[in-house]
Amino acid sequence: MPEILRVQNLSAGYGPLTVLHGINLAVNAGERIGLIGLNGHGKSTLLRTIAGLTGWQSGSIRLNGAEIGGTRSQGPGRYTHRIVRLGLALMPQGDALFHGMTVADHLASGACTRKAWRERRARQERVLEIFPPLRNLLSSVVGRLSGGERRMVSLARGLMGDASLYLIDEPSLGLAPKISIGLIEALCRIDLSRGGMIIAEQNLAMLEGKVTRLLGIHAGKLKGGAEGVFAALPHAAAGLVAHAS
Amino acid sequence: MHLDFFYVALTAATLASIYGLLAIGISIIWSSLAMINMAHGFTFAISGYGAWLAAQAVGANPPAVLAAGILTGAIAGTFIGAVAFIPLYDKPNFTLRSLIATLAISLLGGQFLLWLFGPRVKALPKLFGYHSFHIGTAVASADKLGTIACSIALMLSTLIWAKRSRTGLEIRAMMQNPEGAALIGVGLRSTAMAVMAVTGALAGLAAVLLSQTYYVSPYSGLIPLFKGMIVALAGGLGSVAGALIAAVLVGLVEAVTAVTIGGQYVLITQFLFIIGILLIRPRGIAGMIETTRE
Amino acid sequence: MAAFDTSGDFAADRDRRPLPAREVGRRRWFPKLAAHGARTWHRVRYPLTRRRPLLVHTGYNPRTLAAEKTIVDKRPLYWLAGLAVLAVAPLFGSNALLSAAAVFAIYAAINVVWMLVIGTAGIYSLATLAVVGTAAYGTAWLSIAHGLPWWGMIAVGPLFGIAFGVVIALPAIRLEGFYYALLTVGLAEVCRVYVVQSRVLGSATGGLYGADSYLPDGTPERIGLTISYFAAFTVMLLALGLYRLVNGQRLGRLLRAAPEKHEAFAEALGINYRAARIQVFLISSAALGFIGGFYATYFKGASPSLFSMDSLLLLLAMIVIGGIGRTEGAVVGTLIVVLFDRVLIDLGPLRLACIGAIMLGTVLFLRGGLFEIPAQFRAWREKKKSERRALIDPRGGETMPEEASEIRDKQQIYLRRFDKILRDRLKALITPELIEAHRRSPAGPHSDALERVLNYFRRAAVTDKYAVLAERPFEAYRIVALSGRRGVAPRMVDDHIYNTVAEAQHAVFLRRVHDLMES
Repeated sequence: MPEILRVQNLSAGYGPLTVLHGINLAVNAGERIGLIGLNGHGKSTLLRTIAGLTGWQSGSIRLNGAEIGGTRSQGPGRYTHRIVRLGLALMPQGDALFHGMTVADHLASGACTRKAWRERRARQERVLEIFPPLRNLLSSVVGRLSGGERRMVSLARGLMGDASLYLIDEPSLGLAPKISIGLIEALCRIDLSRGGMIIAEQNLAMLEGKVTRLLGIHAGKLKGGAEGVFAALPHAAAGLVAHAS
Repeated sequence: MHLDFFYVALTAATLASIYGLLAIGISIIWSSLAMINMAHGFTFAISGYGAWLAAQAVGANPPAVLAAGILTGAIAGTFIGAVAFIPLYDKPNFTLRSLIATLAISLLGGQFLLWLFGPRVKALPKLFGYHSFHIGTAVASADKLGTIACSIALMLSTLIWAKRSRTGLEIRAMMQNPEGAALIGVGLRSTAMAVMAVTGALAGLAAVLLSQTYYVSPYSGLIPLFKGMIVALAGGLGSVAGALIAAVLVGLVEAVTAVTIGGQYVLITQFLFIIGILLIRPRGIAGMIETTRE
Repeated sequence: MAAFDTSGDFAADRDRRPLPAREVGRRRWFPKLAAHGARTWHRVRYPLTRRRPLLVHTGYNPRTLAAEKTIVDKRPLYWLAGLAVLAVAPLFGSNALLSAAAVFAIYAAINVVWMLVIGTAGIYSLATLAVVGTAAYGTAWLSIAHGLPWWGMIAVGPLFGIAFGVVIALPAIRLEGFYYALLTVGLAEVCRVYVVQSRVLGSATGGLYGADSYLPDGTPERIGLTISYFAAFTVMLLALGLYRLVNGQRLGRLLRAAPEKHEAFAEALGINYRAARIQVFLISSAALGFIGGFYATYFKGASPSLFSMDSLLLLLAMIVIGGIGRTEGAVVGTLIVVLFDRVLIDLGPLRLACIGAIMLGTVLFLRGGLFEIPAQFRAWREKKKSERRALIDPRGGETMPEEASEIRDKQQIYLRRFDKILRDRLKALITPELIEAHRRSPAGPHSDALERVLNYFRRAAVTDKYAVLAERPFEAYRIVALSGRRGVAPRMVDDHIYNTVAEAQHAVFLRRVHDLMES
């Protein structure tokens, strides 16, 4: 099983403040990993640091063997676009959408490699099968869509490229439970033949049973397995945790 | 009056197409790079010289001269991007610093051209010939028709390229959400260079076309830059449609003024017109419908 | 320190400023003066104010316990030195240098007032030279056509300035930022075109000439130039005084509370920042008018070059090189550009290229002009330091500098460091064989390594220390954690019941090893 992502002893933060302390993480091909943690404990920071958007301080991040850590960037990441071309797709909190463009343009923009751009029609069809409601919205401007539809556009855009690692940050944030359950089910149905996926969520119930592995993050430290998740979400009932691992 | 009206309309259209070329460039640079490019006049001037050099070398070959002007403009635009945008875009005070940097480049560039080519003006060969067409009872010189045709052709092809190609999509993405653009693999630097090259090419074409009537000189770009700026502002920075509408209006004002009051008052009337527009709509004609930067 | 400090007034001493709070890791040096000796109640103040020059702070040195005075604000000294040099230096030069110096003084005055508009009021007006030009033309025309004497010109100048200022202030309400800047440029251009064409205003002669001057006719050139230089220097001093007055007092403070993009906060506090901005704008327009009147008497007329883009570009270069928002920047920037423009005149057209190159260099490398260099350097040094600090792992026992300065007993820092080194050594000693050895005989003779580990565990603080509770002696034992506080019962660590003491002790050992490895 080839290793898609290996994070070793990663410390990251903002300026002199360290938010993540010594994170060790490995994602193998075909794995779907749920990253559970409360707000402010470092889920988004971890995903954004892997994507090169923010505050790497020390440690190594290897994507498909290539080292992508090591840059202290400010603002929207100097090297993020290169990391994306190496095969990473981040669907951030807040969607990062282009408010003046149509949905079709968004999907086309997701195809970031030459191969993907040439095949963009076919890929668009494939993505529309994963998120059927977008089919009717192809020519609507994204700024006018509802929250759930926007989230779908953001996720669909990330799926258009040739990514081997998908990082999804809180897909259920701000959405009604029915919609978010539908989204997560769609995400978990995606065939991850040679890729990996990390879904960061606060809501354990949405992910249990659907992901390969659960990791808990608490105060910037990663704890694996049921004990880790329990440490991250102390109010989660023991029964849920037992199912999840 | 019938003749007058047609002449005015034709002159207005010619001016509008040239101002439009410059204004679109300035508008796009502002909305995608957040930079006010005061060195656009320098791009204009140096493209004129590039075209002149080509004319000296190859003779009055219209495609070659046009191509030389456009190419020089693109290269000059890229140079300005490399000096004023790339080193500064993530530093504090970027807007002011890039403004001053482009002003400094304009100053230095003018001196450089003065030193290289001397203060005497150069003339470009007439690219569209000397004949005139008779449309009904009105007379239209090939000059003006050629100018309008070339400008429209290049503007249209640029707009089509912007809509269809991947680079155009990337530029639009960068305009609307820089972080989102980074996430879809848009390299800020390469896209910025593409923007500067394309807008430089537009300015280059404007230089070649305008130099049919006026001569090529080291500071020939300053007044066109000023007019391009006010057209871009009146249209609303960031809006291509607004810039085009404003270009037509400003061209009309200039043509009417030139015919009625006299050429030396053109700047004043254009300026007053722009003030009027800005006072009614402080963000320009198109306002802030699509863009996110102010 | 306060207990020893007997120099305080009983009344509320508003100018008693403490030494500025020091940020962690930075020591600033302040010049120290001798103490006040026996005259403990003596204060030197600026007349009519309660402010002490140089913000001299009287205190006691914590080490030597001797009284001393500290100069907190060194800037007035630099200003005095600089202005003294500027006042005297050109007198030793040629006539050309003297006239260039006078031009420098006039431009410096204009730039200082411009700083007021851009920095304090935040209005990006590029029409300063236009205001000066309007006043110059107006007063010159009045002098030529109606015989206004030179002091009349200087008195009437501000009126022209305010009139023009009102004209440009009105659009400032609607337009912002770059739009407004372009409007002012356009206005200057309009003025230029008008002036170049108007016969009344000397289109034929390229400007108005023949206005009255304060120098009586027949003054020898050198003396005339000297007097003119000192007059211009006085104008510059007046401009600096005006800046200090407006920026340092009420209007400036109100406007500092309403920085760009955050005006809503000030408005919520009831600060009418718009009125303040317009007031500053009008005051500076009047000042520019005054300078315009002086300009007309100095040059005995006015020329359209005041409205041209070249002069505007030169002025822009002056304030950019020095740094926008600081008067020292305006003065030094003007000095540099005028030096290049007027003094190095033999370079010919290369001068403009040099000025352009300096402008480009300043803007590419410096964050905010020459006078921001110390701040920029400090920020860069802080960044490097924080990058190095990020590599220090605080978990292990290294103390962050912020914490270190707060900890009173510095021995704690060294203790933590020692503890970390010790723990690292012990972690290396722990092997499965060691654990097995303990399991076999928890109380029995141990190897050296095991002894060291056990000694470390035994030396731990009582708070949260694992202990064995005998629930039923010889039958049931539990692990508990001691609370370390009198009267508070130990807490249960888990439910497991051990049958022998040895098992329980080994379990305690395992937990302690686990905690050691985790730390």
